[in-house]
Amino acid sequence: MILLDRVSKQYDKKTNKAALERINLHVEAKEFVVIVGPSGAGKSTLLKLLTREEKPTSGKIIVGGIDYEKLRDKDVPYLRRKIGVVFQDFKLLETRTVFENVAFALEIVGMSGKEIRHTVPKVLDIVGLRGKENNLPPELSGGERQRVAIARAIVRQPKILIADEPTGNLDPKHAWDVIRVLEKINQYGTTVLLTTHNTEIVNKLKRRVVTIQGGKLSSDKARSDYHGKQAVVR
Amino acid sequence: MSSRKLIMLGRVFRTGFVNLFRNAWLTIAATVVMVVALSIILLAVVLNMTANNAIDELALDLKAEIYLNDNVSEDAVAQFRSGLAQLDFVVGTDYISPEDAKRSLTETFKDDQPELIEVFVLADNGEGDALPASIRVTVDDLERMPEVKDYAETSEYAGIVEEVSLGKDDSSAQETIDKAAAGQKYVNTGSIIAAGVLSLVAIMIIFNTIRMAIYTRRDEIRIMKLIGATPDYIRAPFLIEASLYGVLAGLISSGVVYSLVFFYGGRLSNAAEFAQTYAFFTQPRIIIVMTACAIMTGVLIGSFSSMLAMEKHLKLKHW
Repeated sequence: MILLDRVSKQYDKKTNKAALERINLHVEAKEFVVIVGPSGAGKSTLLKLLTREEKPTSGKIIVGGIDYEKLRDKDVPYLRRKIGVVFQDFKLLETRTVFENVAFALEIVGMSGKEIRHTVPKVLDIVGLRGKENNLPPELSGGERQRVAIARAIVRQPKILIADEPTGNLDPKHAWDVIRVLEKINQYGTTVLLTTHNTEIVNKLKRRVVTIQGGKLSSDKARSDYHGKQAVVR
Repeated sequence: MSSRKLIMLGRVFRTGFVNLFRNAWLTIAATVVMVVALSIILLAVVLNMTANNAIDELALDLKAEIYLNDNVSEDAVAQFRSGLAQLDFVVGTDYISPEDAKRSLTETFKDDQPELIEVFVLADNGEGDALPASIRVTVDDLERMPEVKDYAETSEYAGIVEEVSLGKDDSSAQETIDKAAAGQKYVNTGSIIAAGVLSLVAIMIIFNTIRMAIYTRRDEIRIMKLIGATPDYIRAPFLIEASLYGVLAGLISSGVVYSLVFFYGGRLSNAAEFAQTYAFFTQPRIIIVMTACAIMTGVLIGSFSSMLAMEKHLKLKHW
């Protein structure tokens, strides 16, 4: 599903400091992969490469059979429609209701009003926000806001869901609400890539953990091998 | 067009409309400036045509007079006239016999200067030939009036033509024409400068309006990019918003200019110089064409400014 082959990213060629250096990563379809690492390690850069917000300096990226090297700029929007993205700061439209925020993802692809009215409530059910359709984002808790963002990311049924520190701004209870929603989505067959700082979540999740440090992939452990901080330091 | 594309087209139009009302004050400012610019352009067209038609009408009063020698045969006069009539700028040749000339003179001076008539009667001495026969030539292009003289003074007609007068002595008609031409020149230059400056101001205001709209919607635009909106889908509402300023301004300016045309033109239409212009501009077909042209110009100014703003501030090149 996702293949990174010796991918490097250097923002400033003068400093010779790479944000990512020769990353090799292979993620199977329907996998749930947690990416960990300290701030500035390169996790967000990795996700930006996958959503094609950034282009790699070198290396090969293939997602869902699409080779990014051959991807033309005008095809990028169509690639992004196949990938759902959730951000730490939610990125919701504050003046639109929960329903409208989720519907927004369907409007831009030309779905009819009837289809939207049929699809959005189902997705709000999945993320546990039924009954909050008419609320505006400022009226919601952090966890609820993040679940709106998840609903918007999955409403087009993407094959891949990328969640960049989705629990970063949440208290433990709401953080777990969000993680459970992500697990549920993974059970429906969506490949999930989650970046987090939260060791407790990483430990309890018992999923494949990829560690990035200083722009390099320092470890890649299957679910049973990961034991918190020790693995990160390896 | 597929139904999805139609739905998306409907959505971008709706967003464009909503933005128009969302930035109400900026919309008013942009539209007002554009209304002034378009009104000046439309007025310039109307005034230019009015001046042209008035000059043409006045020019018909300014005729060349070719005085003929005595005792020229009718055939020779007819041949000379037919040669004149073949010149493409000549619209009429009237033969004035000595008797006609005398009648006209009597008619003209009988009230103001009867003594002048007496002088001619004495000179005539009952023979009726004190005034020469002449051919009065009407042209549709004043600039080419001297060509009548050139033609009449060729050696071929030396035996026929005594003298040629190009109507320079008809000072009032010539003066009016000169004034109208000078006025037309001022109207043209003034309106081009004013319309140019105001169009530039309109472009700058719309540029800023769209820039602010892009700024207020920057989060929405970023989210749209990240969740797969195409650049055209993002751009279209801004383009529609700016084009709508043009449509509004085109309609209003056309209304303003036509109010003036009907108000003042209705009063002036009795004068021969303005009747043709008034009749022309008040044809329903011409009203539609003028309004359409104003709208199109407005849409062009609006979309051009919007594209400039998007090029500079929307940053859709890097996807």
